[in-house]
Amino acid sequence: MSKYTEDDLELELKTKEYEYGFYTDIESETFAKGLNEDVVRAISKKKNEPEWMTEWRLEAFRVWEKMTEPDWANVKYPKPNFQEIAYYSAPKKKPKLNSLDEVDPDLLETFKKLGISIDEQKKLANVAVDIVMDSVSVATTFKKTLGEKGIIFMPISEAIQEHPELVKKYLGTVVPTTDNFYAALNSAVFSDGSFCYIPKGVKCPMELSTYFRINEGGTGQFERTLVVADKGSYVSYLEGCTAPQRDENQLHAAVVELIAMDDAEIKYSTVQNWFPGDENGKGGVFNFVTKRGLCETNAKISWTQVETGSAVTWKYPSCILKGNNSVGEFYSIAVTNHYQQADTGTKMIHLGKNTKSTIISKGISAGKSQNSYRGLVQINSRAENARNFSQCDSLLMGNACGAHTFPYIEVKNKSAQIEHEATTSKIGEDQLFYCNQRGIDTEKAIALIVNGFSKEVLNKLPMEFAVEAQKLLEISLEGSVG
Amino acid sequence: MLKINNLHASIEEKSILKGLNLEVKAGEVHAIMGPNGAGKSTMANVIAGKEEYEVTDGVIELNGEDISELAPEERAHNGVFLSFQYPVEIPGVSVTNFIKTAINETRKAKGLEDMPAKDMLKMIREKSELLEIDRKFLSRSLNEGFSGGEKKRNEIFQMAMLEPKLAILDETDSGLDIDALRIVANGVNKLKSKDNAVVVITHYQRLLDYIVPDFVHVLHDGKIVKTGDASLALELEAKGYDWIKKELV
Amino acid sequence: MELLKDKILSSYVAFENDININSDVHDIRTEALENFEKLGFPTKKLEAWKYTSLNSILKEDYSIFPNKCTAVELADVKKYFIHDIDTYKVVFIDGKYSPFLSETTHDTIDVCLMSAAFAKPKYKPVIEKYFNKVANQDNLTSLNTAFAKEGAYIHIPRNVEVEKPIQIINFSTCADITTMVQPRNLIVVEENAHVQIIERHQSLTSNAVLSNVVTEIFVDKSATVDVYKIQNDDINASLVDNTYINQKSNSVASVHTFSFGGNITRNNLNFYQNGEHIDSILKGVTIIEGKQHVDHHTLVDHIEPNCESHQDYKGIYDERSTGVFNGKVIVNKEAQKTNAYQQNNNVLVSDKATINAKPQLEIFADDVKCSHGCTIGQLDDDALFYMQQRGIPQKEGKGLLMFAFANTVLESVKIPEVKSRITKLIAEKLNVNIGFDL
Ligand SMILES: Nc1ncnc2c1ncn2[C@@H]1O[C@H](COP(=O)(O)OP(=O)(O)O)[C@@H](O)[C@H]1O
Ligand SMILES: [Mg+2]
Repeated sequence: MSKYTEDDLELELKTKEYEYGFYTDIESETFAKGLNEDVVRAISKKKNEPEWMTEWRLEAFRVWEKMTEPDWANVKYPKPNFQEIAYYSAPKKKPKLNSLDEVDPDLLETFKKLGISIDEQKKLANVAVDIVMDSVSVATTFKKTLGEKGIIFMPISEAIQEHPELVKKYLGTVVPTTDNFYAALNSAVFSDGSFCYIPKGVKCPMELSTYFRINEGGTGQFERTLVVADKGSYVSYLEGCTAPQRDENQLHAAVVELIAMDDAEIKYSTVQNWFPGDENGKGGVFNFVTKRGLCETNAKISWTQVETGSAVTWKYPSCILKGNNSVGEFYSIAVTNHYQQADTGTKMIHLGKNTKSTIISKGISAGKSQNSYRGLVQINSRAENARNFSQCDSLLMGNACGAHTFPYIEVKNKSAQIEHEATTSKIGEDQLFYCNQRGIDTEKAIALIVNGFSKEVLNKLPMEFAVEAQKLLEISLEGSVG
Repeated sequence: MLKINNLHASIEEKSILKGLNLEVKAGEVHAIMGPNGAGKSTMANVIAGKEEYEVTDGVIELNGEDISELAPEERAHNGVFLSFQYPVEIPGVSVTNFIKTAINETRKAKGLEDMPAKDMLKMIREKSELLEIDRKFLSRSLNEGFSGGEKKRNEIFQMAMLEPKLAILDETDSGLDIDALRIVANGVNKLKSKDNAVVVITHYQRLLDYIVPDFVHVLHDGKIVKTGDASLALELEAKGYDWIKKELV
Repeated sequence: MELLKDKILSSYVAFENDININSDVHDIRTEALENFEKLGFPTKKLEAWKYTSLNSILKEDYSIFPNKCTAVELADVKKYFIHDIDTYKVVFIDGKYSPFLSETTHDTIDVCLMSAAFAKPKYKPVIEKYFNKVANQDNLTSLNTAFAKEGAYIHIPRNVEVEKPIQIINFSTCADITTMVQPRNLIVVEENAHVQIIERHQSLTSNAVLSNVVTEIFVDKSATVDVYKIQNDDINASLVDNTYINQKSNSVASVHTFSFGGNITRNNLNFYQNGEHIDSILKGVTIIEGKQHVDHHTLVDHIEPNCESHQDYKGIYDERSTGVFNGKVIVNKEAQKTNAYQQNNNVLVSDKATINAKPQLEIFADDVKCSHGCTIGQLDDDALFYMQQRGIPQKEGKGLLMFAFANTVLESVKIPEVKSRITKLIAEKLNVNIGFDL
């Protein structure tokens, strides 16, 4: 039997509509729309940031101004007007953080609807939750337990105040401000996000988790996450996203930087379920994310993602395998339905000797959606004995969608061993009949088969995420068969 | 229990069943024999409701009710079980997960709650013991990489779990070694009762040594052309089908 | 690059002196020239040219209308022909037809010259129907189209099975100038006909040569076309080979490309399946060294249902050579029941060699079987050890293993003489003594 109970899942799998489509009515303070140096300064000031941070943002802004939005991805969307976006939004009622009881009841209600009741999470899953509501963290739990181990886990805005030396040292070292259009934008205007530092030799005793939500109408969300695992440490980090249903397109341009020092390991898991737009392709989040990790000697970074949401996704969690013997992994499930478009994959940059990477990508396209895998495996000339295994499988449902594979393989060292495989398939009539014969109706049978198709990746998720992910797969594909 | 009257069915315009009659009562075991291509699997698939086959004439009644219009899963909910001649693979879906889903969907159709995990586990344990199935096997992906014998044993395991009213076993014995054959046959016998019925499609007497049929039918060219008791199977084993074909002309 | 472009554009007027400018064909040329003027030469900024830069060869001050520079004796060039079987031959020297080396025909089939086909009214219907109808509008194809004047013209009527293979050979000979040539071939194979073609570009000088070739092939219903491209040119010769194949129902077309020589070689091989039950076969062996660069860009466009495509490319890269494989398979919405296979296997022999692979799939139909596999690796150590244990020295053992690795592509070569010629070339390239004359 698989490790998470299917019985539990069973109960949860009943939901029909996009169940996270609601809107939380919390008063927000929002800046006027538009972006210029003054807005960047104001954001920095609002957050009481030190001078170096303001300068860092301004530098990013100046770079961004000169950049143009990239268009090489296999996605089509109306380019956002960056002057029509409000770049700062914070709940006005700032709850005190001593205990959850003091958190805005509306907010708690929101979390209940999301099925991520913090009490439950605390008890059942042993998860510390750092909740980002719009752009400002409003609740942090488990700080104390973590504190005893010397683990820092807090909103990055606080970290800038409390641990400026750490933030200054690592911020922008893996994803430079100049890296790309969205990363530059994020660097200039990011409002908040998470910071995590695991000291030398410490194994973080629990999964660290952040739930993001976009809340204020017309507010772009620019999260910034920085995870530093010092030598010999270990951390598993969970990021989950759900967004309220709404008409307007919303922009989300996050940056995540991971640093795994010698012998350290970071597992970073994401369940992404931003509002995908309705079945006519109206609305939905634009998700342009830059995620990258750096591995020093013997270090390991695993990215696992389940992407079911967003109208447009542009996302390539990557590993720079700098240290010898370092390991990078990417496990991904991307589901697109209706008019969704996803262009996602990974980059594995092998610099060190004996570096290893694994890529398992499962794309499921339904409706009128377009689902692309785009990946780069690069073996540099000094990366002796590098290994990569990639597998990209696509499942098509119906005849109005598309599945695309764009793997780039660049090898400059003769000792490299690269294997890349890709397949495309559909759900077989005889598989469906077999399930039907055993009393399982077609919709259910599809869910079962899709889950099976995605198993290799689902198995990589921490338990409590796996359940949610299965649920999301099912909800996302609802109504995708005639 | 099952009453088939003048059944005609075709696939891709090709007529395969040409006026088949069969009546199976509760508590009975029927064996269907016949040369390759006679239409045995077609009959099984048509009873189970496979959509590729077009029923052009005739009725299929289950407990007095015409089931021709029912979806395959509805027929399954009514107690029809087909052990497939060629069970399909479903990658990534474990045997346990699959059977659990099947049972709970059937219960749901009957307005019952999901089976509690405790009961489910107990049942899985019992039935896997009955069929001498290693429990490790149950966590493997359904039929993926299973040997021919494992696939067939897994089919009977599912039958044991689903407790159908009418079980149709399509060449469940082919691919089984002697020991496995005995285990599977024992399993079927244990599940037999006066309230259910079994239709065994086979080429070999050896299965019928264990599962003793009340009736043996010969299916040829889309029709039942001869019916007898258990001794007919022995006669067929000894003489082949040619003599029957000759009788027909 | 800009200099060369200017030179090309300005020499168009001179080119027009030589040809009939009052024709539909010339309108096509002029339009293509405008297109080339707009697009210019490809740069690495274009996704399709990401891994291949032409900068180093576009610096040359090529002569665009070379005169036939050197007399060529058959004895000197015989080795470049497949000479041990009877074949038709269409031979060009510095872009000009060589009647002396050629063997053309008008007996049932037409194996002759594009210049003649452009000029004579008799060919007009075929030219009108096929010329520039499948070639696309990209930079270098447009450049070729603008200067389209000479090349091989092959027309096989219905139900004719051509017994002799047809060789198309372009020699370059100019000793004191560098030359650029734009051969243009048109091959029309009508219903149920069958033809085999062997194509080669060979420089006889050590001066830089740039050949920008366009070949259009039309394969009508139930016809079969097999093309063998032998690329073993002088180290200063570069080639951009654009091949466009339009297939109709039940046809089979295969192209084998053997790339061993040359400086920069770029193959753009495009198949368009306009019908059902079509089979397209694309195979290649690349074995290069030094600073050689070979780029295979393949496209199979599955437009209608029930078709197949099979791709198998092998590459062995030594020294500082670079290889590119960019294989694109498109399965359109209507193309249900497509089977598309693509395999690309590479061995890097040296630390300085590079391989860039991009095997891409674009699928819009659900009931299809598509797969691609791409590997980059070394030779099988166990096999090598096995050989050594049986007394074969490591160096020879390696050679034999590479030979075996590349040789699998040859299984589908249907002309025995071509097969043995390529086998010999591979053995030579890999320094393998195959022990007996094949
Ligand atoms: N999917 C199908 N398409 C076309 N013909 C079929 C199909 N399934 C079965 N048949 C044909 O129907 C006939 C009966 O087949 P089947 O019922 O499998 O025979 P049996 O099980 O008695 O050996 C055979 O001639 C077989 O080829
Ligand atoms: Mg059968």
